[in-house]
Amino acid sequence: MDDSVSIATPDHVTLDFELAGLGSRLAAMLIDHLFIILLLIGLGLLLGLGNLFSFSSATPWISALMVIVSFLVFWGYFLFFETIMTGQTPGKRATGIRVIRENGLPIGLREAAIRNLVRIADMLPPPAYLLGGIVASADARGRRLGDMAAGTIVVRERFELAVDFASGAAWAERVERGQSRNAVTLPRGTISPSQLGVIEQFLKRRADLPPERRAELAWQIAEPLIELIGGDRRAIAASPNRGLLCERVLADVLDMARQTRRIVAAAAPVATEGPGSLF
Amino acid sequence: MTTTQTTAGEEKQRQWTKLAADILRLAKAGPRGLRSLSGAVLSDLIDRYQALTADLARARSLGASPSTVDRLNRIAVAGHNLLYGHIGASRKAGTRKDWIGAFARAVRDSIWAVALSAGLLFGSAVASYVAVQAYPELAYDLVPPGFYDFEPTSDEHMHEIPGLARPLVSSSIMTHNIQVTLAAFGLGLTAGIGTAYLLLFNGLTLGAVAGWLSAQGRSRALWGWVMPHGGTEMLAICLAGAAGFLLAGAILAPGRTSRATALRLIAGRALTIELGVMFMLVIAGLIEGFVSPSGIGYPARIVILAVSLAAWAAYFFLAGRSRSASPARTFGESPESASGA
Repeated sequence: MDDSVSIATPDHVTLDFELAGLGSRLAAMLIDHLFIILLLIGLGLLLGLGNLFSFSSATPWISALMVIVSFLVFWGYFLFFETIMTGQTPGKRATGIRVIRENGLPIGLREAAIRNLVRIADMLPPPAYLLGGIVASADARGRRLGDMAAGTIVVRERFELAVDFASGAAWAERVERGQSRNAVTLPRGTISPSQLGVIEQFLKRRADLPPERRAELAWQIAEPLIELIGGDRRAIAASPNRGLLCERVLADVLDMARQTRRIVAAAAPVATEGPGSLF
Repeated sequence: MTTTQTTAGEEKQRQWTKLAADILRLAKAGPRGLRSLSGAVLSDLIDRYQALTADLARARSLGASPSTVDRLNRIAVAGHNLLYGHIGASRKAGTRKDWIGAFARAVRDSIWAVALSAGLLFGSAVASYVAVQAYPELAYDLVPPGFYDFEPTSDEHMHEIPGLARPLVSSSIMTHNIQVTLAAFGLGLTAGIGTAYLLLFNGLTLGAVAGWLSAQGRSRALWGWVMPHGGTEMLAICLAGAAGFLLAGAILAPGRTSRATALRLIAGRALTIELGVMFMLVIAGLIEGFVSPSGIGYPARIVILAVSLAAWAAYFFLAGRSRSASPARTFGESPESASGA
């Protein structure tokens, strides 16, 4: 079972949801079953006390009502709370997990009804939840049978949102200056930011290097890049001016990388026109 | 130049932090939080959420640190849950569902499952009815011991329940039967094995009890008792079995989709049937608690059976036909923007 799942939302944004672990689901379930038992005991006491102190013509009807209410508590607890708390029960709220639809939208009555009315199959052999546990462990998104039927997944909900954005702010400024550290696309492949860094360093320091060392380094750095920009590696390798040709390749690569960055930085504000969009 | 760039980063940080705080506050306030906002404030919130999702997309593609992506993602998820949290309600408000016709249509669309369920339930009942009459000693294996020496209170029906106990009897029977049908429905997920077991077990027991009482010369009392509620009750259990087999069908023969997808596609129809079954059992429970144990005569019991069966037949054959072309067919079949796999 993987620990996260990516969902494309109606805004065409991909959100990463962290799947709820079996442990927190088990804990939530135990809490909920505890509540159910307490509710049923409370109802029983209420009925007992009522019958103890007064017996009237209403008593048979109250008893009948109690039978129905107990039944509704037993079978409807999860359905009721998952519907009104959009995917949560008291136990799920306590453990910070929530049921959502596979497409990322919140669940409604339909999903809550399906996943909870077939719960008995997942509980097999009751109340061990063995079948549901095995199915959920085997599924990449941790779905028990009821989840599959309802089209739902259970995710972890994290509320500590007020976090430190210092590194995010620094990144925003780098993007603003067109210096984001993303890979750069060349005509026949991509190179990573760290490779660009090496080229920059070399071109800056090349004048200080002994000629032989300089030519050798230029060859080592440029060799894997020659074909990426459409050059002829064998011709350069055989050339007496190998070092010089390689330095020209490196300069070309750097030029292309700078152009790509400018394009990315310039395109961003056009793509989104939200207020406060600075890029 | 440096000063404006510093402001850019700080401005972003300020926006993110403020949006996160707003979302957190509104999410904690629940559904009322969002509803209390004025139109202008709400649309500003949506604009800021969309700006954040744009930042998130750029953070992913323009190499922000994983921690920045993670934090933006977390705010976006919370904002998404907040803003789309009540889509379910508005989705249903738009179209009026034909609830009454939906159950009949779901049953009509599932003839194979209904036939299979009926075959198991009624087939086993008839078999054990015949078997117990031919070999009464079988009854000691199949009939609950309470029926061995059962003495009906009258020739017309088996027992008279005092008026005071009727509400409790009625509600107990109702909830018990609904529980059985919920099991028959849910256990469809065991590839139908649990559903088939329940249908066979109930059919065998009912048939054996009927066979035993008939062999004891009590058949008139038995049928007098069973007739008022029995038609509705047996039909409901049969349909619950069909709902279970629909789920089983998706697991055993998913067709071209994955089993999980097949299950998701059929589950709405199966749920519609199960909800209808529960309604039928409420009616049957009321009859079984208040009418069957009353003093009404034998002809009246026959009439109730005939009327109830005719009513159900008419309902299942006729209801919901006129709108059969409408796309909204069963329980909440939502317009899927689905991510299937």
